[in-house]
Amino acid sequence: MTSQADPADAQASAGAISIRGLSKTFGALKVLDDINCTIGEAEFVSTLGPSGCGKSTILRIIAGLVEPDAGAELRLLGEPFGGQSDQVGVVFQTHNMLPWLTVEKNIRLNCEVRGVARAEITRRVEEILPVLKLEGFREKYPHQISGGMKQRAALGQTLIAQPKVLLLDEPFGALDALTRDQLNVELLRLWQKIRKTVVLITHSISEAIFLSDRVLVMSDRPSRVVSDVRIDLPRPRDPKATREDPRFGQYVTQLSALMGVH
Amino acid sequence: MSELFSRLRLPEILFFGLIALCWEMASEWFGIRPYLLPSLSSVLAALWNNAGELYRHSIVTLNEVVVGYLWAVAGGLALGLAIHTVPLARRTVYPLIVLFQGLPKVALAPLMVIWFGYGLTSKVLMAFLFAFFPVVIGMLGGLESVPSHLREHFDAIGASRWTRFWRLQMPAALPSIVDACKTAMPLAVIGAIVGEFVGAEGGLGYVILSANASARSDLLFAALVVISILSTLLYLVVELLGRKVWWRGV
Repeated sequence: MTSQADPADAQASAGAISIRGLSKTFGALKVLDDINCTIGEAEFVSTLGPSGCGKSTILRIIAGLVEPDAGAELRLLGEPFGGQSDQVGVVFQTHNMLPWLTVEKNIRLNCEVRGVARAEITRRVEEILPVLKLEGFREKYPHQISGGMKQRAALGQTLIAQPKVLLLDEPFGALDALTRDQLNVELLRLWQKIRKTVVLITHSISEAIFLSDRVLVMSDRPSRVVSDVRIDLPRPRDPKATREDPRFGQYVTQLSALMGVH
Repeated sequence: MSELFSRLRLPEILFFGLIALCWEMASEWFGIRPYLLPSLSSVLAALWNNAGELYRHSIVTLNEVVVGYLWAVAGGLALGLAIHTVPLARRTVYPLIVLFQGLPKVALAPLMVIWFGYGLTSKVLMAFLFAFFPVVIGMLGGLESVPSHLREHFDAIGASRWTRFWRLQMPAALPSIVDACKTAMPLAVIGAIVGEFVGAEGGLGYVILSANASARSDLLFAALVVISILSTLLYLVVELLGRKVWWRGV
């Protein structure tokens, strides 16, 4: 089964996120130059590119945290957008846990701010804690749990609001390689369950291939999308089988060449 | 009892014991005249013999300090917030406060007495003036210490200004506010005493002046001891309240 055969793909043409002519200049520095791309509903798309190429800026624009230059046409779930939307959730590299709240209260915060009813928040928390393997740590404070758990909790902080689009800005980038691999497997498992549109920013080629339906490769500043590679590996993906698939190695070679890594 | 004893370690006992001994024996060992430095035992005797009077004056000073301090904390927090949030206030009120801070506040005490008389108000104002500035600075520093990624997180979840203030800025600022409140506490005591020096009908500063006038240096030292105990106790109260803010540096 390939991702094209996925029923979610029928809607993908409508596009969860559609970006036309997106540029962004900070002062004299042109960071993004005429970015065009469409991301389908329930599609998992990764963005690879050199450091400082503006990947995070795209994400912040989609999240409504940064204003794009005039002239860009941005659509989210078919609607033109500006500013932050309840439909979008972001997870950054640095976790956003408040040190004075427990894990559970940190996760609740997002919904409390949005005015979700207390009972409904509790229901969602009970649902999400086991998925994130945080049940035993709900009463712990952020400084009492490991880096990997913090990032899982950060995922929970975002997922609790049930966004349709999930933006992940190197969410596991600050973790050691082993924890990172583990969390990627968990993220994949989670995604296969919830099937949201995901845009992931990463520096890791293998992480991008392992998780994504498509990988967008970006150039150095001012960045453009230089390549859009469809990852045609069967889903659901098993970590071992996927990495042993000969196509996995081919994608690594192809993307490395595109990134200029030899 | 045994727990208390085990907490009093030998070095501490020796250290304070040595100070007490040197104090007690100052006139015999170092030839310091008792009217310059009365012996520890005579100071303790003065404390005992004037306990009622000292207590009455302590209450006067305590009242001045606490009222002035609470106003300083409330006013300092409000002004710090205003300077942080309103750009106009940062350009106008902030420089004014900094300029004002440069004035020796001791020199304002006579003015306070001229303006507000010998009663409570002038001393409360002196305590306020001494304690106010650190609280403003602590509040400002605390509000500025909110990590940018958390501010962005609150942007991303669409938090209102109100939510942002109560759920992010205030808790993040609290460690710095607590430090400022600790700094301000002894300053409020100094302010009140200085106010009493200039003109008062009661209070520990008044006791010091009148003991001085009647060459009762034992009573003067007794008043000093009471002031330092009062100041320490007030500091401890703030310190204990401040322990509720445990999340500094985690």
